[in-house]
Amino acid sequence: MKTALLVAAATFLLPVGSALAHEEGALQMSPPGAPYIQVSDALPLPEFIPGLGTLFVDPATLPAGPFLAYDHDGRLSATIYMTPLDDLRNGTSYDGLGVGSHTVSSVDIYYNAGHPGVEAPHAHVVLFHDEDAKSRLAE
Amino acid sequence: MPARRQVLAIGGGVFAALGRPRALWADPVESVEMKGTARGERIWFAPVGLAVMPGTTVRFTNRDPGNSHTSTAYHPDILDRQLRIPPDAAPWDSDFLLPGESFEVTLTVPGVYDYYCMPHEMAGMVGRIVVGRPGDPGWQGAAPDSADLEPDALAGFPPVDEILAKGRILKEEAR
Repeated sequence: MKTALLVAAATFLLPVGSALAHEEGALQMSPPGAPYIQVSDALPLPEFIPGLGTLFVDPATLPAGPFLAYDHDGRLSATIYMTPLDDLRNGTSYDGLGVGSHTVSSVDIYYNAGHPGVEAPHAHVVLFHDEDAKSRLAE
Repeated sequence: MPARRQVLAIGGGVFAALGRPRALWADPVESVEMKGTARGERIWFAPVGLAVMPGTTVRFTNRDPGNSHTSTAYHPDILDRQLRIPPDAAPWDSDFLLPGESFEVTLTVPGVYDYYCMPHEMAGMVGRIVVGRPGDPGWQGAAPDSADLEPDALAGFPPVDEILAKGRILKEEAR
């Protein structure tokens, strides 16, 4: 099952550090490279998700992410976090999370009922990296 | 003796002569769509409650452009879940359907069939199909509540009598 692939990938990739914003040049265009994997390659989700774009994630950072969101031209447009509500309620905190870019033009936070990969109801925290990013990810 | 297809053709001709729809002779097919809001705040089966005749084929189609869904029967053979379909009925699991994909199942045993979406059961994405009517041979009514299901899932099943009375129940109408 694809979920198992993510877990397996996480096991192999754990020793590898994620490229974060201080290395943001490596993340600006898709694909971002290891340890990130394309979400639609590991989970039954569309390659381009309307509103989120094409997502990459380091499996070791699930469920929170960061998920790197690329537009149709492969340009990094947003960094997204997915935080299960029950985990937050039960005391889990997600601290020191990486960002895909230091430039953030706006932030959207909204509820999501769940999807493969993060099945528990959770919040999407979306950091858009430029003014047009939201429209490019819309569809 | 004429073959079944020939009988259907003859029957269709008689029906046409009587001014009744020829489609009544075809095996019935009903549709259930998997839907969701643009940001995934809400997801649901439409209709969430459906009454059909035995032998009906139900086609599940994912109409949610940003998510994948399953139609999965509550059955011990699938993830050891509570039996919530008639004991003599075969369980089904569509596996994940990406946007635009479909899955069909034909329901022949009378009774109440409860099913769910694997990644969205916690969010209450469940559905109920009533095949036939109480009193039909082999009829199996609704399964009792169980700790196997989350409260949001149990709350999502429309009452059987309401499904039978209305035929189709959309989420907005479900209790």
